[in-house]
This record gives sequence, C-alpha cells and structure tokens, in this order.
Amino acid sequence: MCHNQAILYETDFFLNGNLSELERLAAEVSHFCAAHSLDGEVEFDLNLVLEELFVNTVRYGGCEGMESSSRVRLRYDSAVEVEFYDRGRPFDPTLVPPADIDAPLDQREGGLGIHLVRQIMSDVKYRRVDEWNHLSMHRRGRNIVADS
Amino acid sequence: MIMMTEEKRSDWFVVGARGRADAEAADELESGLRRAVESSAKVAVDFSALSYISSAGLRAVIQAARAAQAAKVEFVICSLTQPVQKVFDMSGLHQILHVRGELPC
Repeated sequence: MCHNQAILYETDFFLNGNLSELERLAAEVSHFCAAHSLDGEVEFDLNLVLEELFVNTVRYGGCEGMESSSRVRLRYDSAVEVEFYDRGRPFDPTLVPPADIDAPLDQREGGLGIHLVRQIMSDVKYRRVDEWNHLSMHRRGRNIVADS
Repeated sequence: MIMMTEEKRSDWFVVGARGRADAEAADELESGLRRAVESSAKVAVDFSALSYISSAGLRAVIQAARAAQAAKVEFVICSLTQPVQKVFDMSGLHQILHVRGELPC
C-alpha cells in the first residue's frame, strides 16, 4: 500500500518460530516504550498482545521452527500503532467468536489470547497478502472509554 | 523466566512464582502449582513477585485450579500485582478462581 510505505516504523523486527524468541520480543517492546517514554502499563499491554499473536502462530499457525515467521512493526503517534505479520496458515482472528468469560472453570474453551488482544487493542483489521497474514491495530488511549 | 518457590506455613503450602509467566514459562508454572496441589490440602499461590502473565500463564493456573477442585484441595491465588490483576479481570478469572489480597498465613 503506497501510504504505508511513507510511514516510518522505527521498530521493525522479525521473530523466528520458536518460543525462546519471547525474550527478544520483550526486549524490543521495552526499547520501543523507553524511546517514546511510554509507561509500564503500555509496555505490559503491548508485550501481552504481541505474545498472544506470536504464540498462536507457533502453536496453531504452523510457524514452529520457521525462520522469520513473524514480523512486528511498531509506531507511536498519540496512539501505539501495531502491525503484526506472519507466514502461517491463513487465519483471520477477527472472525473468532467472543470468548465466554462467564463460563465456569470446567467449561472454559480456548480463545483467551484473542480475547485479551481485543480487550486491549482497537480497530483490529486483517488482510491476507501473498503468504502473509497481516493484522493492524492500535492500543486504546487512556482517554477512550473501553467497551465493558 | 520464572522461578518457583515452596514453603510450608502452618497448614498451608505456599507456592510462589517470581518473574514472568509467559508461554515459555507456562509448563514450569503449571508443574510447580500441580506439585503443590498434590502435596497439601491447602495451597496458597503467592504471585507478589510475578510481574507479567499471558494467556499461557493463565491456562497453567486454570489447569492447576481444576486439579485442586477435583482433589478437593483449597487453592487460593494471592497478592496479584496490579498489571497481573488486570489480566485476571479481563479474562473473567477473578470470578471463578479464588483470588485474595494477602496470603492466608
């Protein structure tokens, strides 16, 4: 997309399909937040969202063992803009039904990761481009009242 | 990175988790919690030193809580830090897990 190419993403990195990459993910998010003076809550939220998306690609998307299977791009401009790409099987998380968080313990299904992403981020959009799943989203600002 | 600790305090088995309960640490967290559930009729989980949790970490806690429920073991989660509490709240888990502010002993 032409206008996307004009936007500079200062934080732009790839992850291999291995859970040991979670430490590097945490370090990159920490570095991004420090560069923009974003507080611990923002850092926690970004780390959580990116972990959920990344782990899903490794566990369910077929990215286990794949080099540079995911790509993360972060930008800050009054809100944190997140772009997450992965080369796993086609999967649109925006189509996952809402998690039943009122279900008792023994009836809990999966989908908790996507549920958390939706709680934290807004305007989640999915596209499939060539071999890549592509998600874009931004973190709700403090002055936006979240849906309960 | 996660480090599990164990301590007996009167009739409570206090199992602590220090660090980050991410997907890489989830198995170790679950093992430690299950070990506590197998060891005692009363288990208190000390999360005061847990700085981060993801859905994988939550799942480990849920699995241990299920094991405790099946074994009729009392299982309480204590001293959540504020960001970790937020994740529990977003997941609705604070309604089905026994969460309290302080350790029972």
